[in-house]
Amino acid sequence: MSNLSESKYRGYEADRSKYPRMENGKPVIDLESHMYTKLWQGPQHPGVTGNMAVELIVNGDEIVDAKTHMGYLHRAFEKLMERRRYIQCFPLVCRICVPEPDTNEYCVSAAMEDLAGIQVPERALWLRTLNLEMSRIGSYLMWLGGQAGSLGMGAIGQWTIGMRDFWLDLFEEMTGGRVYHMYMIPGGVRKTLPEGFRDRARELIVTTRKLLYDVENTFLSNAIIKSRLQGLGVISPEMVDEYGIVGPNARASGMEHDIRINNPYVKYGELDVKMLTSTVGDAYARAELRYRDLHQSLDLVTEILNRIPQDGPIQADMPNLLNWKIPAGQTYVKAESTRGEHGFYMVSDGSDKPRRVFARGASYTHAISVLEELAVNISISDLAGLMVSLHTCPPEIER
Amino acid sequence: MKLKDVLSPLRVWERAAKKPMTIKDPINDRPGAVNYRGFHKNDFSKCIGCGSCEEICQNDAIDLVPVEGQETVEGDSGLRPMIDYGRCCWCALCVDVCPTGALTMSNEYTWIADNPEDYRFVPGADKTAWQDSEKGYTRSPDIQILDYERVDMQELEPEERDKSFIEIVKGYNKEQAMKEAERCLECGLCIATCPAHMDIPGYIAAIRDDDIDNALRILYETNPMPEICGRICTHKCETVCALHNNGDPLAIRWLKRYIVDQVPADKYSEILGTDHLEDEVLNRKVAIIGAGPAGLSAAYYLAIMGYKTKVYEALPDPGGMVRYGIPEYRLPYDQIDKDIDYIRSLGVEIQFNTRVGTDITLEELHGSYDAVFAGTGLHLGRSTRVPGADNKRVYFATDLLREVTLGNEIDVAENIVVIGGGNVAMDITRTLARLQNLKYGKVQVLATCLEAEDIMPADVEEVVEAREENAVIDPGWGPKEIEIRDGKVYGLHVVKCLSVFDENGRFSPKFDEDQKKFFKADMVVESIGQGMDLSYLSEGIKSDLKFSPRGRIEVDDSFQSSLQWLFVGGDIIQGPDVIHGIANGYIAAKGIDTYLNKK
Amino acid sequence: MEQLVKRINGMIHLKAYNRQRDDLFFITVEKSQLELVLSHLKNNEGFTHLAFLQAVDFLEDSKFQLTYMLYNYDIRVNLGVKVLIARDKAEMTSIHKLWAHAWQYQRELHELFGINFPGSPRVEESFVLEGWEEMPPMRRDFDTKEYSERTFYQRPGRSTNDPKEYMKEKMYKNYAASPRIRRDDE
Ligand SMILES: Cc1cc2nc3c(=O)[nH]c(=O)nc-3n(C[C@H](O)[C@H](O)[C@H](O)COP(=O)(O)OP(=O)(O)OC[C@H]3O[C@@H](n4cnc5c(N)ncnc54)[C@H](O)[C@@H]3O)c2cc1C
Ligand code: SF4
Ligand code: SF4
Repeated sequence: MSNLSESKYRGYEADRSKYPRMENGKPVIDLESHMYTKLWQGPQHPGVTGNMAVELIVNGDEIVDAKTHMGYLHRAFEKLMERRRYIQCFPLVCRICVPEPDTNEYCVSAAMEDLAGIQVPERALWLRTLNLEMSRIGSYLMWLGGQAGSLGMGAIGQWTIGMRDFWLDLFEEMTGGRVYHMYMIPGGVRKTLPEGFRDRARELIVTTRKLLYDVENTFLSNAIIKSRLQGLGVISPEMVDEYGIVGPNARASGMEHDIRINNPYVKYGELDVKMLTSTVGDAYARAELRYRDLHQSLDLVTEILNRIPQDGPIQADMPNLLNWKIPAGQTYVKAESTRGEHGFYMVSDGSDKPRRVFARGASYTHAISVLEELAVNISISDLAGLMVSLHTCPPEIER
Repeated sequence: MKLKDVLSPLRVWERAAKKPMTIKDPINDRPGAVNYRGFHKNDFSKCIGCGSCEEICQNDAIDLVPVEGQETVEGDSGLRPMIDYGRCCWCALCVDVCPTGALTMSNEYTWIADNPEDYRFVPGADKTAWQDSEKGYTRSPDIQILDYERVDMQELEPEERDKSFIEIVKGYNKEQAMKEAERCLECGLCIATCPAHMDIPGYIAAIRDDDIDNALRILYETNPMPEICGRICTHKCETVCALHNNGDPLAIRWLKRYIVDQVPADKYSEILGTDHLEDEVLNRKVAIIGAGPAGLSAAYYLAIMGYKTKVYEALPDPGGMVRYGIPEYRLPYDQIDKDIDYIRSLGVEIQFNTRVGTDITLEELHGSYDAVFAGTGLHLGRSTRVPGADNKRVYFATDLLREVTLGNEIDVAENIVVIGGGNVAMDITRTLARLQNLKYGKVQVLATCLEAEDIMPADVEEVVEAREENAVIDPGWGPKEIEIRDGKVYGLHVVKCLSVFDENGRFSPKFDEDQKKFFKADMVVESIGQGMDLSYLSEGIKSDLKFSPRGRIEVDDSFQSSLQWLFVGGDIIQGPDVIHGIANGYIAAKGIDTYLNKK
Repeated sequence: MEQLVKRINGMIHLKAYNRQRDDLFFITVEKSQLELVLSHLKNNEGFTHLAFLQAVDFLEDSKFQLTYMLYNYDIRVNLGVKVLIARDKAEMTSIHKLWAHAWQYQRELHELFGINFPGSPRVEESFVLEGWEEMPPMRRDFDTKEYSERTFYQRPGRSTNDPKEYMKEKMYKNYAASPRIRRDDE
């Protein structure tokens, strides 16, 4: 960890007495000395996000070294895609992310469309926007529950996961699936909105806001929560670029960047997305920012529902997708997921199968470089809260 | 710490008095959405066993298996998808791809069984609670996984074509052909329907790979007349194309034509590997009667197997009805020549202007050859036998078409009526329209037939195009009498035809004698079918041959007649169309080879 | 962008440049000049965000392509910097000093493609494949299907039919195979 040891961001630089000695950039941990204990958080642990493990070296309650371990979830999607025709990649990618599969669907379809030079029809773009924004709501609700749960407030987790299920009901009506929607097919989307969908969605927005009011009262304006999250896992503005930090994690540290605004895709360019930022950079600031972003998503869904065209094609004129060859080329397509920049890098060699697909997820750095950095110097009991506040999602790391 | 932050969480107690947001009994209160992707359903009456579902499933969850009660017939393999729910990921790509719309999903997703094997079944065959459920995911009509739209074929405009015999269909260029070839699903259902069982998906794949040489080799495996078939084949294969269930069938015929149009004649022998044919190795000779598709196809395959073959042909040029029947605007003569010249280049000798039976007898052929193949076609016109049909200005369509090919002048009248509603009738109608146009500058030809418009045997395009060329098609009338005045044709009297077939499907037309019509004409052409001329069979041979009750020579699977040395094929046995002739000739050639090897 | 390309071209030899979209460009540079280009782009041209570093295996050319995807927040443009390196004993300069998360990608590429980045922290540590003994699995010549067939077992009793072959068997089994052409040079 040479780079980390030289790091200027570490909070513990001043008093190193209880930390392990560094040699050649690696901490020398002498477990025999009885100063340190090695502790595994995960791979099965309610306090880790998904299937990953953090190998901790602790001194008393305090973490002195942390190392992220992956590999509990590897399904080789990228490799599998190289052996599948383009259309067959479509059901694979959503599985990269449970809480927010649609970003993957969007990116993989958009990458294919970009390489093949396909124009997606207007109505399909709107439906995609709706789908993406709804999936952000679903993801944030899950995160909210996780953040509260990680600090011992399981009840909030039940509320928000329950509410997320109502959103999944809507997904089910719209796409035919609850968790994996498989909705954005190359060239467009698979279905139009079912009858009465708009009304039910509008109703649900109202209910969700009611719930959020409760959550705000019990969680965000809760003295205990504040005392635990404030000052935890501070990301300084300098760190943002250095570590490739994106999304709410970056915005809470003052970075004014949201792909929906800065590189608008689907119909975001025509929507009034506001740049939400904070300058504090700690876990509480991130939580509060996500909470505001969730409200913004509800606003956006309302607006999208009003603006989706009622008729028009939902798929571009496509060739036989069983024999679909995409001209050789390379592209990178990205979207703003709730965790930040989510992108697909796709290389075509002109055949009917992709040469290489790489899914870039925000957690790639958040859960490893950044987490390993921020975990040091905090108490074991805060690690779970920290991980959730970075909104890490292991499947993005092992695709 | 602010006091507000300590108190505010307590607010949540307000909720205790309010209606809960949750649902009490979700499974029952809220079943799967109408659109839910649950267990599959398959409508066997629609499924054709094409295997597209298996092909697209990226989880390898589908096997195509035979199912009791499902026959293998043309256009339906009889196989049905079996789904392994241990692998299925419920993506419904199989539903979206299914060209028949047979495969759908129910909104059922809860099901418990003790035996894991239960989760592998054939939807539609194995009884499930949801097979008849109305709800569940279906393919949206707004999206396409397959491409159901044929690449347009460029054709001459009616104004350009109605005064000339220039070929109407222009053929695909490379880009169009590749695009059309991309539409193929490679299910192969068409192969069983093609009489010559050509490897259609094979040569279409070769087009996609832009490997024209290989495509040509595939064509010649069972069909030595691809230029001809690529233009005028009856393309039965296209009727069973899986895409036809939801859109345009693949333009198989045009793609075949595309392949051969790409290859110059002088490249054939090199590509097909016939540049070093062994000469007369077998020292056996076969005589062939008739240089039509059947005879030439037999000659080709005999030649590449090393037999010396000689064709006896009554007319001055080869091709049979392909040349003397089919009009030039559908099939130009140079394209016929391209196919046939290649066959002749392999050492197939054709002796023209020699009618077997008059110029040389069948017995003589039997004497000097080891085997004989006869493919003499249907060349005798059939008459309606209505009063007046014996007038000299009443013709048979095939006779006129032959005269046109021979280059002989026809005394085209200003006002012509054609009796008949098949493709031959359309051919003669459109030929006469052109001749009238050239001679009089206007068209006055009318075709009438028993069948009403919707059951006319001619292809719809033929009828449409004939009308575009200003011919009148007035179907649904039965000819009564050709009125003759002063020895000249005056016109045709018809009565309304109510139905053509009886309940048992037998030909038995019914008329309404009160509904009459009169078509003025000074020339009438009959085009109601052709008969065979077997006069070359001497009485001796005839008595040794077995005939079917309907007068056809009986042959076995290899087109061998009851006289072992005589093989018979083409229109006089099966068809009538070119591809059957070709297939017959192909099998007969293999049959002759077997027969001679045994002898 | 054109000007930027000109500036870089003044500095080093640019092998290729292409515009994929208004907000996505690619340049290809020499292996030896990569570090120079990246630090220039980061420090002087505002391409401060490294979105990812990934490899593509061009087995048939015996090359790996490395792609460094950068982003400039001001002009809102992604720039992919491509480098081709030899596939045999693949090795590349480490950029962990330029970005604090770059080591992670380098460690992944080491494991999944077998590309070495000397000096990159923890580069030898396994990333997702603890105990892996096969060749680096993201290489094109690693046969996933063969591996899974060797490693896992199939559900017994599964078999399928090709409609084409099945129909032949059922409907025209006796249709003769195409005759062999007799040539005199065989
Ligand atoms: C107007 C018209 C249009 C048609 N259009 C199509 C079409 O679009 N598509 C299609 O698939 N089919 C079409 N057909 C049918 C097709 O032409 C025939 O099915 C096909 O030519 C039959 O081939 P064959 O070899 O059996 O007989 P033919 O082609 O009839 O060949 C028989 C040959 O034998 C010769 N012959 C006959 N008796 C003797 C004898 N005693 N001695 C020596 N030679 C003899 C004849 O002169 C002739 O050349 C059409 C037919 C007609 C009449
Ligand atoms: S794709 Fe449809 S028609 Fe073809 S086999 Fe499957 S279910 Fe049957
Ligand atoms: S739903 Fe998807 S995974 Fe399941 S059988 Fe159909 S194509 Fe295969």
